[in-house]
Amino acid sequence: MSLLTDLTAAVAAGKRIDTVRLTQELLTSGARPQDIVEQGLVPGMAIVGGQFKRNEIFVPEMLVAARAMKEALKLLEPLLASAGIKPKYTVIIGTVQGDLHDIGKNLISMMWRGAGFAVIDLGTNVSPERYVTAAQEHQAHIVGLSALLTTTMPAMKETVRLLKAAGLPHTKIMIGGAPITQAFADDIGADGYAADAGTAVDVARKLVGEAA
Amino acid sequence: MTSREKVRRALAHQAGPVPVDFGSTGLTSLHVSCVAALRAHYGLDCHPVKVTEPFQMLGEVEDDLARALGSDCVAANGRGTMFGFPNEGWHEWRTPWGQVVLVAEGFRPREDASGDVYLFPEGDTTVAPSGHLPAGGYFFDAIVRQEPIDEDHLNAADNCEEFKLISTEDVAHWRREFARISGETRAVVSGIGGTGFGDIALVPAAFLKHPKGIRDITEWYVSLVDRRDYVHQVFAYQCEIALKNLATFAALAGDSIDVLMICGTDFGTQNSQFCSPATFDELYAPYYRQVNDWVHRHTPWKTFKHSCGAVRPLINRFIEVGFDILNPVQCSATDMDPVRLKADFGDRLVFWGGGVDTQHTLPFGTPAEVTAQVTARLRAFSPNGGFVFNTIHNVQARTPTANLIAMVDAVRAFNQAG
Repeated sequence: MSLLTDLTAAVAAGKRIDTVRLTQELLTSGARPQDIVEQGLVPGMAIVGGQFKRNEIFVPEMLVAARAMKEALKLLEPLLASAGIKPKYTVIIGTVQGDLHDIGKNLISMMWRGAGFAVIDLGTNVSPERYVTAAQEHQAHIVGLSALLTTTMPAMKETVRLLKAAGLPHTKIMIGGAPITQAFADDIGADGYAADAGTAVDVARKLVGEAA
Repeated sequence: MTSREKVRRALAHQAGPVPVDFGSTGLTSLHVSCVAALRAHYGLDCHPVKVTEPFQMLGEVEDDLARALGSDCVAANGRGTMFGFPNEGWHEWRTPWGQVVLVAEGFRPREDASGDVYLFPEGDTTVAPSGHLPAGGYFFDAIVRQEPIDEDHLNAADNCEEFKLISTEDVAHWRREFARISGETRAVVSGIGGTGFGDIALVPAAFLKHPKGIRDITEWYVSLVDRRDYVHQVFAYQCEIALKNLATFAALAGDSIDVLMICGTDFGTQNSQFCSPATFDELYAPYYRQVNDWVHRHTPWKTFKHSCGAVRPLINRFIEVGFDILNPVQCSATDMDPVRLKADFGDRLVFWGGGVDTQHTLPFGTPAEVTAQVTARLRAFSPNGGFVFNTIHNVQARTPTANLIAMVDAVRAFNQAG
């Protein structure tokens, strides 16, 4: 097996130490950082997403895999930045105003990073205005809104309204969270809805025009 | 037939009128704003409502409201709260949504310039806050206070600070509490804390001033895979204390109570589970079995397991480790169809909940839609007992009162129709 294949397997299995070691070995052997991301880490996290969707692994295993990927990215991101290589797509994510819950938001953030997106995480309790400002500043391809509480669903609706009113033709809006449904997404004019962190990658890829 | 008899029949899987619970646990209650609205609707005295559980801002269902709602259950409550201060010494507080409520003496909120409200462990405002209610919100959330994790020097004792033997003060409290409910004709639901394993709501330990160990939610979930020996050590110590406390508690409670709340650990998400059946068997089952076995060997109480979400793949295991009751029966989650749940598990497990969807129908539906769903759920779950009507988790703030009334009336009509 090649080092890249080993790296993919290590990430998928959540083996943090092996992931870091293999990343370092690949760099030492002269592999390009962007190839390590695209041919090693991204396929590993794709395996994780697929296993999660099929209920073969669960939230803890997904978090462990994401942590391994994050450690590898710590080595790679400075090299990518100094080479002027940026991810093709930038996504913004946050939990809507009045809502402090972030487990689902963090999971999707990790999976989007694992899919090779640049992720700007605005945190929790994010006002509609902050989403708009961040979307404009980063020229976001996707803005992701999360909510756990029924009481904060109106804030989601208001955020979607403001984002639409801001006139961002290249920015798609995705929503998700425990009480959220496709019907609610349609009702408030969101472009996409994901029921879980596994499908969030597929939906995001479709929204930016890439095959899921 | 008294309320208690109704509940006992249901718990024994015997046919009869469907008993109802509003307010007997921190998982089967109503937001304080909804309690006040219901009191107004039924023409009851409109005094400030007590916040019995400050984390979720749950309101007290007093006896007069319980009668109006037709509730057949009552709580025998412990002293503590999620923030570690006792539920005593009441004073008024105006909530951010403008409602005057009663809060315990240790509820000492601090509001910042943006309108966010903070609460402190044990009401100690000299330490970092542990609870945060954002401006415009209706509930507190725990503030994670995770110290840096030193993988080489993790000590499971750090995650066990909260597991203590029942204190002298607690014993005195329980004696008063059991005296208060003596002669009660409703079913009594109680709990002593510390009998649930790995409840994510308790991991940040909003009740501790300086929590140590693994207190970050993501790190806890990671620990279930990467630090499993550590988690086993925590659970083993917790279980040892829990069994001792159960013995103390049982000697005090005698036959005063009917149901013991054991565990609030959520094993389900909307579409899946938080762990595999194999992980449940290896990590959780040994401890649940010890707790449930102790209760069943020494008392007539039924044991109550709460878990939100799509838990169907784990329900047989819940039964095998000795749980008698499942709550909140989240029928909107994947594979949680009420008819199939009843057919597959209804003769071995009591469904306490499942009555109406608090994420969609109850807060956002019409009264007619609420009536239709409640009636359908009653038809699905009630045959041959084994069902206590309750909403699917606590009634959330901003739920229309008309929908709550439709729910209560639908249950009453169903029972009257026989």
